[in-house]
Amino acid sequence: MRQPKIIIVGGGLAGLMATIRVAELGVPVDLFSIVPVKRSHSVCAQGGINAAKNLKGEGDSPWIHFDDTVYGGDFLANQGLVKNMCEAAPAIIDLLDRMGVMFNRTPEGLLDFRRFGGTLHHRTAFAGATTGQQLLYALDEQVRRHESIDRVNKFEGWTFLSAVLDDAGIARGICAMNLRTMDVRTFPADAVIFCTGGIGAIFGRSTNSVVCTGSAQSALFQQGAWYANGEFIQVHPTAIPGEDKCRLMSESARGEGGRVWVPKQPGDTRHAKDIPQNERFYFLEEWYPKYGNLVPRDVATRAIHKVVFELKMGLPGGPAVYLDVSHIPREVLNRKLEGILEIYEKFVGPDPREEPMKVFPAMHYTMGGLWVDNEQQATSIPGVFAAGECEYQYHGANRLGANSLVSCIYGGMIAGPSAVRYARNLEKGCESTSAEVFERERARQQDITDGLLHQQGTENPITIWRELGEVMTENCTVIRYNANIKKTVGKLAELSERYKKINLQDRTQWSNQTLNFTRELGNMLVLAQVIALGALERNETRGAHYKPEFPERDDANWLKTTLARYNLGKICLEYQPVDTSLIPPRERKYTAAS
Amino acid sequence: MPDKKIIVRVKRRQRPDEPVRWEEFELRYRPHMNVITCLRDIAERPITRDGRESSPVSYEANCLEEVCGACAMLINGQPRQACSALVDNLEQPIRLEPLSKFPLVRDLVVDRSKMFEDLKRTHCWIPIDGTYDLGEGPRMSPATQETGYPLARCISCGNCLEICPKVNEHTQFVGAAIVSQVRLFNMHPTGKLHAGERLDALMGPGGIQDCDNSQNCVKVCPKGIPLTESIAAVNGQVIRHALKTWFTGRD
Amino acid sequence: MASAVGVTRTSFFLDKLQSLSGIVPIGAYLAEHFFENSYALVSPGKYNYIASKLETVPWRLPIEFLLIWLPILFHGCYGIYIWWNGKANVIGHPWMANWLYVLQRWTGIIVFAFIGYHVWTVRFLSHGKTTYTDIAHYMANPWIVAIYAIGILAASFHLGNGVWNFACKWGFAVTPESQRAAGWFGALVAVVFAVIGLAIIAGFRFHWTPFDTYL
Repeated sequence: MRQPKIIIVGGGLAGLMATIRVAELGVPVDLFSIVPVKRSHSVCAQGGINAAKNLKGEGDSPWIHFDDTVYGGDFLANQGLVKNMCEAAPAIIDLLDRMGVMFNRTPEGLLDFRRFGGTLHHRTAFAGATTGQQLLYALDEQVRRHESIDRVNKFEGWTFLSAVLDDAGIARGICAMNLRTMDVRTFPADAVIFCTGGIGAIFGRSTNSVVCTGSAQSALFQQGAWYANGEFIQVHPTAIPGEDKCRLMSESARGEGGRVWVPKQPGDTRHAKDIPQNERFYFLEEWYPKYGNLVPRDVATRAIHKVVFELKMGLPGGPAVYLDVSHIPREVLNRKLEGILEIYEKFVGPDPREEPMKVFPAMHYTMGGLWVDNEQQATSIPGVFAAGECEYQYHGANRLGANSLVSCIYGGMIAGPSAVRYARNLEKGCESTSAEVFERERARQQDITDGLLHQQGTENPITIWRELGEVMTENCTVIRYNANIKKTVGKLAELSERYKKINLQDRTQWSNQTLNFTRELGNMLVLAQVIALGALERNETRGAHYKPEFPERDDANWLKTTLARYNLGKICLEYQPVDTSLIPPRERKYTAAS
Repeated sequence: MPDKKIIVRVKRRQRPDEPVRWEEFELRYRPHMNVITCLRDIAERPITRDGRESSPVSYEANCLEEVCGACAMLINGQPRQACSALVDNLEQPIRLEPLSKFPLVRDLVVDRSKMFEDLKRTHCWIPIDGTYDLGEGPRMSPATQETGYPLARCISCGNCLEICPKVNEHTQFVGAAIVSQVRLFNMHPTGKLHAGERLDALMGPGGIQDCDNSQNCVKVCPKGIPLTESIAAVNGQVIRHALKTWFTGRD
Repeated sequence: MASAVGVTRTSFFLDKLQSLSGIVPIGAYLAEHFFENSYALVSPGKYNYIASKLETVPWRLPIEFLLIWLPILFHGCYGIYIWWNGKANVIGHPWMANWLYVLQRWTGIIVFAFIGYHVWTVRFLSHGKTTYTDIAHYMANPWIVAIYAIGILAASFHLGNGVWNFACKWGFAVTPESQRAAGWFGALVAVVFAVIGLAIIAGFRFHWTPFDTYL
């Protein structure tokens, strides 16, 4: 039998899981990643990974996990797959445990679980406060093992430029650029799996890593892949605002008992420790007595915005509220949260074990992404699969904390074998595709690169990127007004025009990071439009998408998936019904138990 | 503070074989700046202090919260992560150089693939039978977890190799990070079953014997990993393993 | 990348042997050597008696060769090779253990040179027979006293620090606490050897015999 050829783009959790699954089937994998895979953005995930293992005697079950997830996502997720994921989650934790992840333990030697937002159960397994890092390393090690027996061939330091599509529109490989030599090359494959993660860079300063530009998704979108629910952007309630990025302060801080508050007296300049309990406003606990500090992220973020901007009760010296863990015993903090407290100490200074942290919401995650079908993680381009944050499938209108790690791994577990299955069933493999198809794509990409290298002008890519981030954060995150979104669309058009006048200031052909960044920036500008247009059209409030002008969820008109398509340089929106066959939509409110 | 300035000196080489040139940039100070923001500012306006047009500085960076390991460089002579190097705490002019113990790519970018190759060479993984459902993992005491977890936080930044007198062109020394990883996997209930393989690898060329106890590694580890403890622990394992296999033929 | 299993262990073996040889037999011999020479602090007669006893042990030459000269030669030569393999960086990183690393190398070369001089003068030029008077005669020269003092101090440091290194490199002291304890123990070893060694020189130089009350 002919050996299929699989390419995986992206070496975060989803990509590595997919790689392991394909390699296990005895099929060789070419794994492409911009950074050495061990440095992928998954390392930034902190709090934990959800699975209803019910080890705390609370009667938790995969069904309740499923219900929490669908309810937390405001019923926009197709339910069948979410249910499968929640059912698979306990076995995923076991697998990770077998791979050697240093999960925290109970005295009995079993996995410990903590609480997280949007649930009333202890469902989140964790390894200190660096769970994503620990999971990524475990998968990285397994991939390295497969690499050592030549089942995996890594292409680290390559960036994906485009898919190679044959005349029938079937993917036959990819075109990629070596970030050191700047060589543009094509690589044939029968199936390609994209696990290219988040899009935070579109919002300038987010909690995401530098590589999370969404460039690959955008490139595929421009080649015909559908992009779904782009307007659903998660803003994490608690992050440390920074000059270069916003650093996440995990929800686990609240899962372990951390409390969010502001002084009752606006402008109170006393030191936090000197403000007595009765003069503190624990607004989440007061407004949402049942879930308290552990309401879902969209709810907590809006509450903080309300406190800071509407009630003008934010902390003096900048928009911020207190996230307080200083009442928790030091020993517990060091055992369960050290990773994040260390971040606060290093980047801000004060010891959060002693005094409350100052935090503010920051763009964190995209629920939207490449459209994939229900069972195979297959995109709308034949031969192209997607898993992880870059696809849209599992989180609806708002993701619950600690569900992203499980969705990444679950998506990777499905995408790997289904890509192999697709490749094995192909009538003709990629070797039958004419060299001319590959050369055509290579030449097209080389032309874009050469164009940028020779382009004359006065614009700077970093400046355009900063302006992009500002306008997107301002108008397309927590609170959305149609008038502002329209302005944003106009601004994006302006930036796209200015993009054509970028002067690279580095025209070398060796490790030219400016060139690569500028190529990514071009793709970011397109995806930004998808987000803005989707947000503009959706006249309702659902999950993370909040329009004060349309403050209610509108199931009659908007219980549907947004589908963006790219057609001759134009973005068109279509809609698809949502599968709600298992749990009928109900009103979502966290003031009392669901 | 109106118009406070920062001076940054960068050691640059466009290609590995080109001569070094030092460039000095003057940047506008803002609170909470780190070395990454400085490098971004330079990229936005790559003009040296003496008014000469230059190019953006190449550097590696990703997570910007000291958990991915990418942005290691020499900052005022010390190997550390650029993201957590806050301008307020740095003496000026801020001197930026690439790590010197790894092959240079360009400017501040070096090739650290040696570390990943060495992880492969030393079998730093848990050899599971497969990803299919085989039930729960082995039980582990909280004490083992609390010893292992700090070791598992190694971000492969390479600072411990950079600072080690014994990592240089004369040796193939794997460095403290890898030794510490071997300790981690040898401590895991399943990893233990294959401890011998890893120890064998650490007894080869560039193995643990190259450590001469200067204990610099532990001083520069951004994650505070007890590297010298790991080295001593693995030293003990290696010697026991060597004696046992030599005398009895099996471990 | 070739599989790790079956790789050569030569450098591992030599490194560990170098480390071990510093303690046994060299360190052990140094302790014996200092002890025997301390008889000079009892009386010249006692010293001469002990010296002649040692000079007339059976199998003297092979014992000296196998237990003293060969180990020292190996320890020294391989030590220099290890030194050449390292790149000290204490300038810019002046941490305690880093200083110890550098000093271990410098004291090593000093001691190696000193032992060469010492053995050549009092073992070979004297045809293997030295008396209290011979040594006292040497020590009348302040330059030779200085050379011996430097040699003894360097050797004491090298041994004391070596004990600490040995504890770490053989996995006897793992935790930071035990490594610190081993460090203090090494310091104690260094001080004891330095005090005894200097006392012996003083004995020869000033005909000082504090322990003659035992007679």
